[in-house]
Amino acid sequence: MATNPVPDHVPPEMVRDFSLFTSPGMPPTPNGDPHAAVACVHAGLAIFYSPYNTRDGLGTWVVTRAKDQRRVLQDAETFSSHRSIFASALGENWPMIPLELDPPAHGVFRSLLNPLLSPRRAMALEPTVRKRAIALIDRIAASGTSCDVMKDFAFPFTVNIFLRFLGLSDDRLDIFVGWGHDLLHGDDVKRPVVARTVLAFIDELAAMRRKEPVDDFMTFIVQAEVEGRPLTDEEVRGIGVLLFVAGLDTVAAAIGFDLAYLARNLKDQELLRSEPNRIVIAAEELLRAYPTVQMIRVATKDIDFEGAPIRKGDYVSCATMIANRDPAEFECPNTIDLAREDNRHAAFGYGPHRCLGSHLARREIVIGLEEWLARIPAFRIKEGTAPITYGGHVFGIENLILDWS
Amino acid sequence: MRIIVHNAKCQGHARCWAQAPDIFKLDDEGYILPGDIKVAEGEELLATRGARSCPERALEIDRTPAERVESVVLQSRFWRA
Repeated sequence: MATNPVPDHVPPEMVRDFSLFTSPGMPPTPNGDPHAAVACVHAGLAIFYSPYNTRDGLGTWVVTRAKDQRRVLQDAETFSSHRSIFASALGENWPMIPLELDPPAHGVFRSLLNPLLSPRRAMALEPTVRKRAIALIDRIAASGTSCDVMKDFAFPFTVNIFLRFLGLSDDRLDIFVGWGHDLLHGDDVKRPVVARTVLAFIDELAAMRRKEPVDDFMTFIVQAEVEGRPLTDEEVRGIGVLLFVAGLDTVAAAIGFDLAYLARNLKDQELLRSEPNRIVIAAEELLRAYPTVQMIRVATKDIDFEGAPIRKGDYVSCATMIANRDPAEFECPNTIDLAREDNRHAAFGYGPHRCLGSHLARREIVIGLEEWLARIPAFRIKEGTAPITYGGHVFGIENLILDWS
Repeated sequence: MRIIVHNAKCQGHARCWAQAPDIFKLDDEGYILPGDIKVAEGEELLATRGARSCPERALEIDRTPAERVESVVLQSRFWRA
């Protein structure tokens, strides 16, 4: 990976050889535990500089303490999220909306989209979500005593919900999963190609819904108005792409990490199976222990932050998996306690960009666990297999083969 | 007991609502309604849990009994006068 020289304003004693992409446990690792691997940063400086901590090998400040991440993410004026991470893969510069907009424009779009993914709306979607989970798990249970969780359950489940939300049938589900994978994990050749494909798809869908409106998300977007005017093509695109990128991978990965944990911890697994009313609280602890996203902000001005001389243009990383293992915030942060109280974890971020889909994501995770535990007897990692975990921009797990023979 | 609501800090996590939907009421976007919350007797534990669940620290617990709040206000008025 290409690395940038450390900028002159960064004191050498604040530089650490740590990266969410290349440190031990971050590249694909059989039987890995990338979340435990990053927790080691809490032994050191509260904030330090990593010379290579983005997918494209750029340096970032790394904010380790939850309370400092809260300060960064709550202050969108000083720490902007406009990075055009999707568009930059195409050599373009437009924001994913609302994530890469700053206030006050951010609030306008956020208010437009919030009702579509509010807690009440997520509750209303619950019967559909549950039906889908049951159908998939019943099929798995009927066809044997082992399965590949990601391929057979986590992805078809979460991507189906996402496609329904968009108003699409799931006959192209595998194609979408492939796009999502290539966008997040593809190399420099694959990413621009698939980014163009996704864009073309979003544009085409928007054009279709303009011509023939139906009752779905994209129709809502193309008919919506902000500040008394319809959305521009670029805005429609920015919203569509964000939904696509945010909805495809994260919940599936969370379900994968959760089931991997339960497969290795049979006492906890049995507790949740025999007392399913504990699952809602347990899912929060699993979100704390196994969050999937690193958020990066750009400083809009020079600021001395907790002893770090942050200069305008510097990247500041707030990794949820690091905040969630902060011993100042969580007692025994590396112990997974499924009954943990006062669990104010950072899995969905802090501040105005709090994950828009968090309420739906939570319902999907809880329902996924409830239905899985109700239908699949005591399960373990299949002997002779090893789930592969990886770090990076979005943490994930592959090859999770469970066995209940 | 009452809950002081710092509306500007609410980002719609809705964790308080998940703990106690009857105490913490949300608007259509899923953010807390403005105004401090007077907690009814017997609901203190639930309200405390809800307030302590906020990732943004938007909810502050004020345990001063209602009568005391009034007397403090009166006193401060007296001093200012």
